[in-house]
Amino acid sequence: MNAVTAPESRSLGAPAGDVPSARSWRAELRLAYERHGDRTVLAARSHVGPLVVQRPLYPEGSAVCHTILVHPPAGIAGGDSLSVDVDVRVGAHALLTTPGAGKWYRSAGARGGLTQRIAVAAGAVCEWLPQESLVFDGAIGDLATEVSLSGDACFVGAELLCFGRTGSGERFTRGELAMRTSIVRDGRPIWLERGRLGGGSVLLSSAVGLQGEPVSGSLLVAAPQVDMDLLEAWRALAPTVGTGGVTLLPGLLVARYLGPACEPGREWFTRLWAAVRPAVAGRPMQTPRIWNT
Amino acid sequence: MTLLPLVRLLQLSSPTLPVGAYTYSQGLEWAVESGRMKTEADTQRWIGDLLEWSVSRFEAPLVAGLLAAWAQGKDDAVRRLNDDFVASRETSELRAETVQMGYSLVRMLVELDAWSSLPGWRARLQAVDTPAFPTAWSAAAAAWQVPVADALTAYLWAWLENQVMAAVKTVPLGQSAGQRMLAALGARIPDLVPLAMALPEDDWSNYAPGLALASSHHETQYSRLFRS
Repeated sequence: MNAVTAPESRSLGAPAGDVPSARSWRAELRLAYERHGDRTVLAARSHVGPLVVQRPLYPEGSAVCHTILVHPPAGIAGGDSLSVDVDVRVGAHALLTTPGAGKWYRSAGARGGLTQRIAVAAGAVCEWLPQESLVFDGAIGDLATEVSLSGDACFVGAELLCFGRTGSGERFTRGELAMRTSIVRDGRPIWLERGRLGGGSVLLSSAVGLQGEPVSGSLLVAAPQVDMDLLEAWRALAPTVGTGGVTLLPGLLVARYLGPACEPGREWFTRLWAAVRPAVAGRPMQTPRIWNT
Repeated sequence: MTLLPLVRLLQLSSPTLPVGAYTYSQGLEWAVESGRMKTEADTQRWIGDLLEWSVSRFEAPLVAGLLAAWAQGKDDAVRRLNDDFVASRETSELRAETVQMGYSLVRMLVELDAWSSLPGWRARLQAVDTPAFPTAWSAAAAAWQVPVADALTAYLWAWLENQVMAAVKTVPLGQSAGQRMLAALGARIPDLVPLAMALPEDDWSNYAPGLALASSHHETQYSRLFRS
């Protein structure tokens, strides 16, 4: 077992591709949002280790609390264990994002883990829009996202994964990322996707898998308001680069992206999000400012 | 395997089972339309990759879990696996396919004395809300006491046969090509069945984004023979 270390034991921003340290982080972040009058407040927050939030922002008025999750080591190494628990209580509206791309570093053998648990209560909205994650060649990790919705809760969740640092021509030839995403509404699953993608796996090149593209992503919108009209609006939008597909399941709109880079995927997801936000969250599009920096 | 369970298994895995399996291609029709599947080799790779990386690593271990749950009277586990399977269908068409086939198979079994006269089974199956096809199929196989390895072998074979038949019609390919693919891909089943039976739930995988995209695009395909 790896030691749990103090934050200063590892320098910020581990060198790219290197195994950062024999030591590991254990980090936890818990956030609870509540609606007080017409304002959403970050009513409770606690953290262990280097996973924190910046001061809440209100760029679109008091109803929506924007929060930026910051993980100063910038990435997850073998042995690290991170968990984020977000509780959006009755009537509150929270939007969460990250300041930059997340990273899964190459591991010498130990698994890294990130577990994201998001609970959204009746009348509440959670927009979970982290920026993309880069999975380094040789990374070994477990990425789990568990969403639990009550009543008419609304959840918008984006995930973009890039396998291999394509900027330097790297491909994902070794290691493994185990992924699991589930959405439950009132105790019953409405979405379940799980898989282990091994470095060098047939799935990376297969036509039924990633089709040779390094970037795979999804945008999920779980809300009672999703319908054929919104699906038609989505069908009229397409990524400028790469391949996208959309479908409508009961109470859930799903968009998927496969492509050569994260940026066109994110740009497409942003347009899709803009197309549904008035219907599912009752307000116009508001791009988090940090995405432009 | 004793002979009556074998006969029942042949009946369950026959293309004549009246659940409409032949009307579904599971995205294969779009793979042909999009130009991705032109030859026997393309076809064999598509079906073989799905068999090995998705069906054998999610649906088949789930069927094994359902067979055990039915046999042991664990109806809560049946319901959980059923709900997970429905939630794991990547698109509207793939979900509709399993829900329709499950509904049809439940109706067929309930009207079939050889199954519905077995004590308790009818009420147990009818208690499942929105039964998926594997849920109803495993209720039949468990009630008829088909051993798990044989059941999974037949289940994978029936899936494979349906995919190959869809490809023969759509690509199109000749009957000899169809038989060559069945022989080649069928030969993988004896290794995939024990893998599926031993696979812990943490290792189950339905992650096949190319399939999901093909199925999404099939939903708006202009001219088509199949419902998925």
